[in-house]
Amino acid sequence: MTAPSTSQQLLARTARERLLAVRPDLDLPDDPVALAGVLAGGRREPGGEPDSVVAVVRRVDIAGWIRGTCVFAHGLAPDRAAAWRRSFTHTVFLAGNPENLGERVRFDHVAEDASAAWHRPAKPRDSIGLRRLLKAFGGEAELPVRPPEVVVVQAGAPSRARPAERDLYLATAGVSCARTLVHLNHLVAEAVLDGLIAAGDRLTVRRVPHLTGSRTPFAALRVDVDPAHPDRLRAFAGLTEEITDARNHCP
Amino acid sequence: MTVLSVPHASWTRRPARGGRRVLLAPVTVTPTKPLTPSHLKGLLWTDVLFRATRVVAETGYRYSNTAYHSTEQTLGFWEFLDDAGGDTDYAAMTEEQIGELYVRYWARRQRPSAAALRPYRDAVEHGWVHPASARIQQLWSAHFRRLGLHDPGLSEHQPPGYGLAEVFDHLAVRGLCLDHRAAGGPVYLDLTRAGLPLRQIVTADGQPNYLACALRDLLPLAVEHDEIVLVHDRELDLDYRLLAHVLANAGPIVHRLPIGRVPIEDRVRSARSGDWRGHTVAALIDEVAGAYRPEVFRLGLRLYFIATLGPGQRQSYRLDLLHKSLHRAERLLDAAPAPAPGPLAERLGQHRGSHAHVNPYRLTTGLLARHRHLPSADLLAEVFL
Repeated sequence: MTAPSTSQQLLARTARERLLAVRPDLDLPDDPVALAGVLAGGRREPGGEPDSVVAVVRRVDIAGWIRGTCVFAHGLAPDRAAAWRRSFTHTVFLAGNPENLGERVRFDHVAEDASAAWHRPAKPRDSIGLRRLLKAFGGEAELPVRPPEVVVVQAGAPSRARPAERDLYLATAGVSCARTLVHLNHLVAEAVLDGLIAAGDRLTVRRVPHLTGSRTPFAALRVDVDPAHPDRLRAFAGLTEEITDARNHCP
Repeated sequence: MTVLSVPHASWTRRPARGGRRVLLAPVTVTPTKPLTPSHLKGLLWTDVLFRATRVVAETGYRYSNTAYHSTEQTLGFWEFLDDAGGDTDYAAMTEEQIGELYVRYWARRQRPSAAALRPYRDAVEHGWVHPASARIQQLWSAHFRRLGLHDPGLSEHQPPGYGLAEVFDHLAVRGLCLDHRAAGGPVYLDLTRAGLPLRQIVTADGQPNYLACALRDLLPLAVEHDEIVLVHDRELDLDYRLLAHVLANAGPIVHRLPIGRVPIEDRVRSARSGDWRGHTVAALIDEVAGAYRPEVFRLGLRLYFIATLGPGQRQSYRLDLLHKSLHRAERLLDAAPAPAPGPLAERLGQHRGSHAHVNPYRLTTGLLARHRHLPSADLLAEVFL
């Protein structure tokens, strides 16, 4: 369990743990500044090209995106899920309309309103046709702050006796829509693959300028380099521990 | 002349009932630089296409400079002129002098901001043209007269029938628009269903490109025509395939007529780097026109740029071959004109194939075929002189 602090040391520890859980062989510094440098430089797969998911974005709909990511990640065959996990849930985001691509691409999941679609983890050459047809998604506007929104996860039959209730915090200040999807994708997909999120769970999405003020500890944090301060780490999204007491979280 | 509901397009006589309405829409040349042989080739092809097709069908010739002033290359140039040059009198400048300023603009390599272009874009919507481009349009009108080209309204205010919002609406209801403005992204033309790649038409900061301008101009005209002929550079092939798809989706049959440029000494030149120096249409007129009668000059140019160079771009510009075509034109015109073997519309109809427009290449090469009769006077007067 992670204390609800977002200090640099804590962020560095969280980021290290995430990477080492998948690749214990990686040589990662403890120091936050040094780790920020490593993250900024990107990570290379020694075994060649990573297995990447291709996500096609027609419209930015945060609740729909979370629901879709949960269904997609939950539905992956174990070997594909493992391969994707090994490549740190690497995902390519392309601008496109899934409804126009239906006859050419067999997506693994399409959002109910066709606002997005997901194509299974594969080597880049397997999605070359799709990449040639579409363009990189580039929504540069900040995500607007909105009232909290509840998302009920519908990924298969409920696997727990009592569905969990969690808050999902999203940082908005200085974060583009495109980067928000990147952060959210890692956080939610990995939480599903790790069993933190399951069918029936209720996630309350809270858009806040910065991830400060949560009184519930985080079960998972998405940490990356702060583009405004390249020598610093920042938490961009966080999934809290289960909320058992309704008074224990921010309104 | 019959004027249909489209303002400012050049319209021709209405043929017998049941005739097809044809719209010719060539890519326009941005009035920011001197005309070159490549431009002249496109203009001559379109002129023969227009003047021959109007004999056999109700034909519109849409060439709106207004519609394309909103592109970044034109607005950016104007903003650069006002920012760098200040209060300059362009009214006495030559094409080359303004072209040199255009070269300086491109050498700056700094993309103008959307905010800097906005007042210019707004002004274009209200009919304003920067005096530098107005001067170029004026000079081109004079070239058109000398070359015997139909002037489709180079200097006229010909606003496009649609605004950008109407284009987006038209595309959206047909599933052809991917609009990421709400997320701070661009707007794309989406023909991925047809296997064509996504194409940005408006940047994230709201600047339309020439394809967006073409859609504003041609979409409202598409529904009023049975056939549209798009004349364009081969380099724009993919964009014009997209445009043809969207226009055809609105109803008419759409044909594309891609035309290769004219290389100079085996190289296709760029106006942005000033490669037109010494090879402008103005220089060609100065060098050649005076040595021939006006009708010989007009016919000879058409024989060279249409029949000799053809639709491709393998042959470089050659002055000796142009003179050869001019001599050929002289012989054709000096020979006794052939009597008209029937109505001109019927004879031109043979060059139409399965479509309503007359193929300018087939028609012009036909003048040179040895086994054919000499061209009749009515054909020459109506189409080539």
